[in-house]
Amino acid sequence: MAKQIYDVIVIGTGAGGGMAIKTLCEAGLKVCALNAGRRLDPEKDFRYHRMPWDMKFRGLDDPKRSESFGYMDNEYTKQAWDHEIPFTVAPGTKWMWPRCKAVGGKTNFWGRSSARFGDIDFKAASRDGYDVDWPITHEEISPFYTRVEKMIGVASTVQNRPSNPDGSYLRPFNFRCLDFILAAGCNKVGVPYLPDRCAQLTQPHEGHPACHFCGECTTGCDVGAFFSTPYFLLPKAEATKNLELRTDALAKNVLVDENGQATGVAYLDRKTKQEVEVYGRAVVVAASCIESARIMLNSKSRHWPNGIANSSGQVGRNLCDHLYGESVRGYLPQLLGQPSFPDHVADSTIAWMPRWQNLKDPHEEKFIRGYSVYPDGGCTEFPWFANDLDGFGSSFKREIKRRYPSPVSFGIQAPSLRSETNFMDLDPEVKDPYGIPVARMHFEWDENVLKMWEHSKQVCADVLRAAGGVVEGSGDTPEIPGWSLHETGTCRMGNDPKSFVTNRFGQTHDVPNLYVCDASVFLNCTDKTTTISILAFSLRTSEHLIENFRQGEHKAA
Amino acid sequence: MAGQGIQRREMLRILGTAAAAAHFPGFSKWGFACGHIGNATLQIKPATYTPQFFTAAEYAVVERLTEMIIPTDSTPGAKEAGVAEFIDFMVASDPEAQYPFRTGLTWLNAHAEQTAGKRFVELTPDQQTSLLEPLSFKDKGRPGDDIGHRFFHTVREYTVTGFYTSEIGFKELDNPALKFYAESPECPHKGDPEHLHLSQTHS
Repeated sequence: MAKQIYDVIVIGTGAGGGMAIKTLCEAGLKVCALNAGRRLDPEKDFRYHRMPWDMKFRGLDDPKRSESFGYMDNEYTKQAWDHEIPFTVAPGTKWMWPRCKAVGGKTNFWGRSSARFGDIDFKAASRDGYDVDWPITHEEISPFYTRVEKMIGVASTVQNRPSNPDGSYLRPFNFRCLDFILAAGCNKVGVPYLPDRCAQLTQPHEGHPACHFCGECTTGCDVGAFFSTPYFLLPKAEATKNLELRTDALAKNVLVDENGQATGVAYLDRKTKQEVEVYGRAVVVAASCIESARIMLNSKSRHWPNGIANSSGQVGRNLCDHLYGESVRGYLPQLLGQPSFPDHVADSTIAWMPRWQNLKDPHEEKFIRGYSVYPDGGCTEFPWFANDLDGFGSSFKREIKRRYPSPVSFGIQAPSLRSETNFMDLDPEVKDPYGIPVARMHFEWDENVLKMWEHSKQVCADVLRAAGGVVEGSGDTPEIPGWSLHETGTCRMGNDPKSFVTNRFGQTHDVPNLYVCDASVFLNCTDKTTTISILAFSLRTSEHLIENFRQGEHKAA
Repeated sequence: MAGQGIQRREMLRILGTAAAAAHFPGFSKWGFACGHIGNATLQIKPATYTPQFFTAAEYAVVERLTEMIIPTDSTPGAKEAGVAEFIDFMVASDPEAQYPFRTGLTWLNAHAEQTAGKRFVELTPDQQTSLLEPLSFKDKGRPGDDIGHRFFHTVREYTVTGFYTSEIGFKELDNPALKFYAESPECPHKGDPEHLHLSQTHS
């Protein structure tokens, strides 16, 4: 039997891989997709409206399980996260690396904030002299954003902000009491407070039902009322009959021929523990920023002794991440003793304070670039503020009830700057249970992003006070790197093959039939979230790949 | 990702705080027990409950503490919500929490003997309240009360968690979580964006 050769092998089924799979399959290409874990069943694997008292550990999980990745990796959804593949950190580095191994990846549980990158991001280097520009403009990528917005549905408003190009939107979330109060405070201080770009369906959209606003998005949506690849993209790919999806298939390395061109992928079948090879005329790596770089660095051959498509030495370098942290927490006295209100129907993505710094003059602040802030608060599922109160007894119990609608918190999202010292490589000694070298992280917050953190504490405190609120504190330190899940830069795109891993279309300079479709091609992480940009760039890369098939550059099966 | 709510960040904040308190880790981990095992509802029968971790004497103190922290008054409290059983299950499930709880309970009885000549559960309610009050301020532990201060706040965190993750606790707050709405819920006071009319009546 002749060995089967697919048109394209796609590693990963998250935002980048999912978009590639759907786009390629609809163009008639035969695709074999590899995913490190299994398919999820919303009824069993999502929270599925279970209450805390339905769970053995009230949703917070077994205290003996020490390896939790934090906020999303809880009793409701823990089976979706990968705990088998370790990573190491260089001395001085702290890193958290939650990896969702399930089909759909992190799109199953993502935060849904969906702002476009703009020219202020793409041409940031020209403005402030740091690093290099992206090899693309908003005008070029805008049509792809528009198509993605139509595909996934984003609730927001046209805002005419210089740092935030507008798109096409579903009607926005309604503002809650706390939004009106904080917006008034922001207005006094002179910073924006606007509806976030939230990929959560405020109305039925493209055959997907409207959100029912239960607020459990980050533990999985059982009706698919926000974008995830298993609800929005993979069914369309499967309908073409051009997709073969292999689950529990942990990609190990890209295979090459005698000329160093990609011929397929070797993966480990996690059920049989056997190594399997699958062949294609082109390969798309979309395993998420760090894992994609790890696979490429592990793809060593005679042609590519330092890893495939790595003649520039840039695979794994230039790692950027969003600094997250609680800039300020406090409460709004106006809301004390008010009836409870369903404030938590979209986690923290109803409103945002989009970047307002360094807009006119790139050096107007003590830092370059800029950050955004996500305000949050009101009645949450659990009254966490209670542990900050004094006392006990009936007065304590009454105070918890009185305070319940009033807490607010401001979360910063600030981009680290590209640096020589922030990167990942392969650990020379540690291997995962399948014998594959693991990722080793080297990362520290830079001075610029820490200035943003300090700046945000001051501005958010001013906003809260101007809103009539009471400031109670802020995070002692930012969250550790990796927390935001927004890492970028390990396979940056650019025109110069000596300095960049891929060209401006996400096609690697060294290996023309190897493409990268995730945030690793981004030059940095900007002040916006990454998912919608991963989708837009993946759509563009996929269409470039299809065009290359049409031109005969990669011959179809 | 942007959708992590205040509660999840707060959970990690507590984790971080707890990790710093070496002997009283508080919520050193994620887990808290409840009145359900799997899908089978565990009937709460305080009279016949056999603690899994605590001795009968220790359990009596834990029960009393939870009932003092979230009392039964005009609404049900920790007793009706089975919070003591919850804590017992939690501590039984968490080896790292066991030593702190045991030494804290020992400290509490020693402290009661020292100040009033009796074990904690033998004190009058007023005496118990007087004993706990100095421990109950978040940032103002008295010198020498460090162990007691940390222990009290650990018990209080477990009690708050056990109570407000129970069905009774949800009712206490009229907790709106996980309900369904046709439209995203909207502020009912848009005529007064700053909500000053509310602060006049409730401040």
